[in-house]
Amino acid sequence: MRRLLFIFMFSMPLLLQGQAIFDIPLSERTTGYDIAAVLDPDSKTVTGEMTAWWVNRSAMPVDHAMLHLYLNAFSSNKSSFAASGRWSPAGDEGYGYVRISRLMDASGNDLTRSMHFVAPDDGNINDRTVLQIDLTAPINPGDTLKLNMLFESKLPSPIVRTGYNKDYFWVAQWFPKFGVYEPAGMRQRESDGWNCHQFHPNSEFYANHSVYNVSVTIPSDYIAGSGGLLLEEMDNGDGTKKIKWRAEDIVDFAWTAWPGYKVVTDKWRGVDITFLTSERGLKIADNQVNAVKYGLEYLDARVGPYPWPHLTFVDPPVEGSGAGGMEYTTIFTSAGSGLVPSFLRMAEMVTIHEFGHAYFMGILASNEFEEPWLDEGVNSYWEERIVDHYYGDGYGLIRLPFIKFSDADMARTSYIGSPSRQAATNNLPSWLYPHGTYGMMSYQKAATWLHTLEGLITTETMDNVFREFYRKWAFRHPSGKDFIETVNDVVRREHGEKFGKDMNWFFDQVLYGTEVCDYRVSGVSNRKITGYSGIVDGDSVTFTRSDRKSDTLYLAKVGIERMGGMKLPIEVLVSFDNGDEILEEWDGTARFTDFEYPGTRKVTRVTIDPDSKIDLDVNRINNSWTDDPEFPASGRMMTKYVFLMQMLISLFTI
Amino acid sequence: MDYFRILKRGAVAAATSYRLILVMWLTALMMVLLVALPLKSILKGVFDRSLATERMLDGFDAGLAGDMGQSFGYLIGAASFGGLLLILAGFLLFTFFAGGLFTRFTIAWGDLNVASFMKASARNFLPFLMLALLMTLIIFAWTALIIGVPVGIVAAVTEGSIMGSRLMLIPFIIWALGMPVWLLVTDHSRRWMAATGSGKIFRAMGAGFKALRRGFLRSYSTMVTLFIVNVLFFGAALWIATFSVPERGGLIFLFFLATQALFILRLFLKAWRYATVSELALIQA
Repeated sequence: MRRLLFIFMFSMPLLLQGQAIFDIPLSERTTGYDIAAVLDPDSKTVTGEMTAWWVNRSAMPVDHAMLHLYLNAFSSNKSSFAASGRWSPAGDEGYGYVRISRLMDASGNDLTRSMHFVAPDDGNINDRTVLQIDLTAPINPGDTLKLNMLFESKLPSPIVRTGYNKDYFWVAQWFPKFGVYEPAGMRQRESDGWNCHQFHPNSEFYANHSVYNVSVTIPSDYIAGSGGLLLEEMDNGDGTKKIKWRAEDIVDFAWTAWPGYKVVTDKWRGVDITFLTSERGLKIADNQVNAVKYGLEYLDARVGPYPWPHLTFVDPPVEGSGAGGMEYTTIFTSAGSGLVPSFLRMAEMVTIHEFGHAYFMGILASNEFEEPWLDEGVNSYWEERIVDHYYGDGYGLIRLPFIKFSDADMARTSYIGSPSRQAATNNLPSWLYPHGTYGMMSYQKAATWLHTLEGLITTETMDNVFREFYRKWAFRHPSGKDFIETVNDVVRREHGEKFGKDMNWFFDQVLYGTEVCDYRVSGVSNRKITGYSGIVDGDSVTFTRSDRKSDTLYLAKVGIERMGGMKLPIEVLVSFDNGDEILEEWDGTARFTDFEYPGTRKVTRVTIDPDSKIDLDVNRINNSWTDDPEFPASGRMMTKYVFLMQMLISLFTI
Repeated sequence: MDYFRILKRGAVAAATSYRLILVMWLTALMMVLLVALPLKSILKGVFDRSLATERMLDGFDAGLAGDMGQSFGYLIGAASFGGLLLILAGFLLFTFFAGGLFTRFTIAWGDLNVASFMKASARNFLPFLMLALLMTLIIFAWTALIIGVPVGIVAAVTEGSIMGSRLMLIPFIIWALGMPVWLLVTDHSRRWMAATGSGKIFRAMGAGFKALRRGFLRSYSTMVTLFIVNVLFFGAALWIATFSVPERGGLIFLFFLATQALFILRLFLKAWRYATVSELALIQA
């Protein structure tokens, strides 16, 4: 009887497959989850029963499973997450946890006693975010492990990625979830094994593309949204309602519930867009929805199609602001709660960034724990391109008459302005970045060198790199090396050996190195050649030019120096007083080079990297030289400063 | 009828004091330039012969801040600290000049040359300074009480959820309605000190409050008018200066002249307020 019950229970996923979103699965669907959960707004808990399955796609039997229990990061102040200082509870009520009260396999074996916590990253015995389950029998290649469990998730407060505040619930990273079992060869791995990292302050995601059948019971007056497609919503007649969602080929499932949500719907081609916001957020709903459409349009054209027919995004209210700026593929959160001034495109920027994760982490499911640059850096690069493309005529963040700021420059400024920019390479696991450099390195430095790569190989080739990356790796798990291999293939195909046999020299410096890039104009001279005298072949020679100006000869000389350790090919634009311009190319490897121009013309201007391709250059002020410096801008700024001071003095004196 | 006549007489008195206003302007300009010119030199030093300044032609490119490195921080620090010093020095300077202006509008109508103006300013300086400090403190307290406390409480209780709503306008309206009262008390007190030659600030404040009670509606409505004109002018002038982006040398010089003209007008409006309150006091007497 018990066995029959389990057979029925485990056949439920197959029954629900009848309501599939995609006729042909987009991914291998190594894992799947069927969850029936109930939200108790008073105890701030979500209790549920879950059937989870995992397919052994390796060539070896697997005798244990590993699961993420993310909410346990909030269970004490000794977890690796809380100990980092990133979070502390709002009183004793604020602690969160996830507890499994019953765990059984498909054969009805009780596995509850074979569960134990491990801490593969830092050995912290107080960290209970990774659960290992020793199985009664190994799972053979091609076989499926099915687990049934009862769990209780207590949400934490304040919200950091997940949690509650009063009646606002952002339910993310809330259920026991499989790690990724990596066969040898996958992501250059040498031997088979689980890849299941602890919950760290700086990264969140690495998971298989999965199928989710989720039903939640919530109070009737709550409005809910999730990363799934809404299948059914029914009133239970007891003051609660049950909502059923299904999601396919996404790496995580999150949902939210709040009585105050306002719902805005829209459509982009075949994608239904749902925007959940607050009363105040309604004011900028059009901006927010347009931002998502821009993201869809831009990435669809340059990377690959957005495959899901649905997308939900949320601008959390002030009380839920801790949930802002998070991504769960088909549901993500913006930020600002409608409070950010409209001239500052921060809300749109966050929306586009978090949407972009549907591609960079969602579709191209890299390992954010181990290679955060491949997730956050690549996504930031695209976010900056989108924001600067659609807003502010190239200055996407701020474009006012007196000040302008591009999104790409904001990232670059963060990188070049950091005193720790050389403290580590760009290829560390997220939890190992020293001195608070995680954000700067994985987001901003990576985005900046991606812009530089684009500058070197052209925008068209860069787009083709990502199209190829998408084609090869969509709904799989690419590594950084896989990305580099794609770059090498596409660049070789489009540019031959213009950049050498491959682009590894570039990645060795920007990704695996710590040097900075800085080229400067070290000096310009226009030496007048008034005469020539000396001994040539034993004869005394004297040659004198006339004094007429038109006949004056010059030896114009331009000196360029490489100040930093990074070596990149650069262009130098040299302008002359007669209007001539020469674009010089230099491989940038030596410490210096000189360009000489004998003749009747004088050099008036020199500009290194005139098209601003090398965003990595940490100082662009020394990239140029003019013989006639003008400072109208500084004059204007000082005039404004004088006037502002005068007015302030008159204001503060009654 | 009185309302317009008083405002008109105040305006005439201020306009005929143009020499004194020009002295105030010139002194203030020189003082501000003492800080601004070195800042400009630092900026020139940072950019030297670079073409990067072209990135500032149609508005400051904030991306330059990163390229400027530590220089940017130093520049902002110097501009901020210099600005703070200027505000403090300016407070002293304009308090000094207020003594001369009130003498001009109270006892030496039409008969105060620059030298006498300076003498009168010097004579009144200390009591005027004490009074200005006291009234500034009162106005700060008023601002904190009417705006700071309610906004703080509401923000804490609602966790910011009603910030920015129209409800939050109420404290600002109450604050604005109260401001003309404090300005009237201050100006009446100063006028009393200028008229009597007394340096007793608490007696002056007493006289200020007493003068406020006499013909309150007339005084208040006149001051509200002046307050609104001043606020609107202040906002408009800053708006014009902020959003003007002249790109070439000649235009920038014109821009400089225009901003100075605006500042002279601002000084005129202040003098108009002083003169009008002096006129009010004359009528009340």
